Amino acid sequence: MSLRYLSRKVTSLVVTLYVTVSFNFLLFHVLPGSPIQLLARSGHYDAAARAQLVKLFGLNRSLIDQYAIYLRNMLHGDLGFSYVYRKPVATVLGGAIGNTVLLVGTATVVTIVVGVWLGVMAASRAHTLTDASITVGSLALWSMPDFFTGMILIFVCGVWTHVLPISGLVTPGLVTGTWGHLVDVGKHLVLPALTLALVNAAEFSLISRNTLVDVMVEDYMLTARAKGISRRVIVWRHALRNAMLPIVTATALYVGMILGGAIQVETVFSWPGMGLLIYNSVVQRDYPVLEGSFLIFAIAVIATNFVSDLLYQVLDPRVRRT
Amino acid sequence: MSDLNELATVGVERRARRGIWRSLWHDPMGRSGIILLAVVLFVIMIGPIIFPFDAQSFGTSSASILQAPSRAHWMGTTELGQDVFRQVLVGGRISLYVGLSATLIAIVLGAGLGLISGYYAGWRDTVLMRVTDFFLVLPTLPLIIVLAALFGQSILVTSLVIGLTSWPQTARIIRSQVLSLRERPLVQRVRSLGASDVRIMRRHILPNVAPLIFANLALVLSGAILAQAALAFLGLGDPVQVSWGTTLHNAFNSGAMSEGAWWYVMTPGVGIVVMVLAFSLVGHSLDRVLNPLRQGDQ
Amino acid sequence: MSLLDIDDLSVDYRTAAGSLRAVDHVSLRVESGEAVGIVGESGCGKTSLGLSIPMLLPDNAAIASGSITLQGRSLVGLSESELNALRWTSVAFIFQGAMNALNPVQRVDRQILEAITAHDKNASRDESYQRVLELLDLVGIAPSRAKSYPHEFSGGMRQRAMIAMALACRPSLLIADEPTTALDVISQAQILNLLASLRRSNSLSVIMISHDLSAIKRVCDRIIVMYAGVIVESGSTEQVLGRHGELASAQHPYTHALIRAHPDLRGERVLAEGLAGHPPDLSTTIVGCRFADRCPSVMDLCRRVEPPVVAVESGHVARCHLAVRAK
Repeated sequence: MSLRYLSRKVTSLVVTLYVTVSFNFLLFHVLPGSPIQLLARSGHYDAAARAQLVKLFGLNRSLIDQYAIYLRNMLHGDLGFSYVYRKPVATVLGGAIGNTVLLVGTATVVTIVVGVWLGVMAASRAHTLTDASITVGSLALWSMPDFFTGMILIFVCGVWTHVLPISGLVTPGLVTGTWGHLVDVGKHLVLPALTLALVNAAEFSLISRNTLVDVMVEDYMLTARAKGISRRVIVWRHALRNAMLPIVTATALYVGMILGGAIQVETVFSWPGMGLLIYNSVVQRDYPVLEGSFLIFAIAVIATNFVSDLLYQVLDPRVRRT
Repeated sequence: MSDLNELATVGVERRARRGIWRSLWHDPMGRSGIILLAVVLFVIMIGPIIFPFDAQSFGTSSASILQAPSRAHWMGTTELGQDVFRQVLVGGRISLYVGLSATLIAIVLGAGLGLISGYYAGWRDTVLMRVTDFFLVLPTLPLIIVLAALFGQSILVTSLVIGLTSWPQTARIIRSQVLSLRERPLVQRVRSLGASDVRIMRRHILPNVAPLIFANLALVLSGAILAQAALAFLGLGDPVQVSWGTTLHNAFNSGAMSEGAWWYVMTPGVGIVVMVLAFSLVGHSLDRVLNPLRQGDQ
Repeated sequence: MSLLDIDDLSVDYRTAAGSLRAVDHVSLRVESGEAVGIVGESGCGKTSLGLSIPMLLPDNAAIASGSITLQGRSLVGLSESELNALRWTSVAFIFQGAMNALNPVQRVDRQILEAITAHDKNASRDESYQRVLELLDLVGIAPSRAKSYPHEFSGGMRQRAMIAMALACRPSLLIADEPTTALDVISQAQILNLLASLRRSNSLSVIMISHDLSAIKRVCDRIIVMYAGVIVESGSTEQVLGRHGELASAQHPYTHALIRAHPDLRGERVLAEGLAGHPPDLSTTIVGCRFADRCPSVMDLCRRVEPPVVAVESGHVARCHLAVRAK
């Protein structure tokens, strides 16, 4: 990877982040009037909160000054003050980010493993009943809203059979050691992570099936077959690596999608992460927390997009030189 | 392998001649999508006429609350004693209405920007694609939620918000198609003869991207219906117009889940799944029929 | 016993337009050490014929009739693992389109090594790798370039790497499908010389498939002309193309058209005038001669009666009503 490419990518990353922060300013500080109007609408209005807002964002100054102050605050990680928790937004988010990373991370691992496996199954049996069933099954799963999938799992695994906990991060009042705590969190993690993974694995299997089918007709696949290599090895060694390339470029879309799913799933399972925080701040009109969460989500997507661009450079030797 | 490619193109050309609709009907996926769609449309258009829903009628006694399915209430009752089946029939119209208007906005925006960007190329393309890429990386559903929380939750605002956030992919797809169309000899010739840009776009570009726009429309529509459902489920739906998502929001927040009132959840949920599935079956099938690049599927 | 004996082979394709017979009752023998050229326009079935030998036809194609016998062993009906054992060790393939025949994300040495290790599980890694370098050296690629990716090679180098890979398991039959298409003139000459010398030094049998008669002439002893799924003429290179300086002794009008279509130095490959139009639709039943619609010497008889296979002289046959039996 050339230094020029890297510096170009870093520049574009910085510009995108800057635009995103500015977009956020426009969204929350300019379009709805001012933060004070938002505060008034939220139902949490009191003189102290108002004074704090004015001080933090320089609301008695011109819009240009406010923008400069906003940018400076963002640079210092100062995302405002929560109406509801009466704490800095950064602190509120800090307590939730870890849980979302745990949930989304677990779901992503399951998604990739199951999705790619299903895609390979479908593509290597393309135009058979297996292929059709996987494709239609994936489409059906994909057509389910994440929250609805979660609600079905709550009925099946919680309300009717009580096999798994359906709410929260830990069992309230349970006192155990570290190990017991981990097991408890693990049990609580199963259903939300499964819900998120189901929908995304469906999408993943559709994408990887289609890119694999495209790759399978490439000349080098015929070469591999002519060499007398077994179909299994051909698919996993030759096809998948090539098929991964278009999938890697779709990473940003995937992250955006799974974060959208996390909001629904955390709400359904009361999983105390960023998604639940967004839901609660919507219900309680806690705009500063909503603003901060959205910014974090946007930055997460932009950052993964950056990483996937670099990864693509590593995976595809053809673009490495440019 | 020129021989094999030639064999493949025979199929493609015949397919093009047979017309997109016929090939859609000949694809099992496309056919099931169309049938499913016809059923859904019939049910939500005719259903509320046969089984009207009165939003003002509530259950009169505690016994009429969260009733399991019975002859009187086919899909049971809500926590307010309202008929779930009738409520869901009406709700489908709202889900579809929001989905359609949001999609219309997204497609007009996306196709329009894609056309301009691909046709004029140059600086217009650079600027428009920068903007598109920016919106493409913003997480869509979180953005929709933020916009709805800030600007209101009537079905008009919801449609606008979903429409204004769902266009970037369409713009990208249309742009790349237009880029290749404008290089075609015919277009180049017509252009050198002095035809106006508007005329070239209307006569030579638009007819060629129209099927692609259509395939994309079905997929954007699926996404829009899902987004609307998620918004309503999170409490950002129109409180007056009870869509499927709103019904699920009520079911979830009224404790119907722990009461085991599956009918209250399943009825609107299955409605969403079937409608979205119908559109995405049609969309995927159209994509397969139209996409000559997907050689492996020929 | 011949090395390869194809008898009465037919290959059918299922397409959106219905069933289509790409190879129609073709018989063909290749002796040990012999080089046979198959020539014809694209779509004439030559590639399908080549692919059917190691059973590499696409999923929508199937062998409808006939047999393929390689080194005394019948290939039709063998299981996938039996075929995999034969592929590359008995029959190796060089594909058209040097561009994409190599995996773009794998280094060239790894791809050749893979061919060796797939068939010789006991080979030590060092020995096998040594062989990879030897093979590359044989085709004129320096060891320092072994670790390149395909896109870092020129078209000619890619095709030479492909040939090196084809020789990895010392096959007895090498099928080269359009090995010089899309290459510049110098690379074409290099590849053809390489193929010609390889078959002499390694007692390798070669089937070379091409639409380019001049390329086939440089490598092959015998020429088979295919049109619309059937062999319309076959004979030794001299019998079909004539000896040096002589006029071509080909009998079939289609062969004549191909000869006149010799590419010139600029690489133009236009069929001679009078050959407008396309080969017939193979999904329909054809009455009479398949070439009748495009034939400059068409007679009334041609549209009604399928021409017989006429033995012009020993080893030279043509499927044409006008072919003359030599005395």
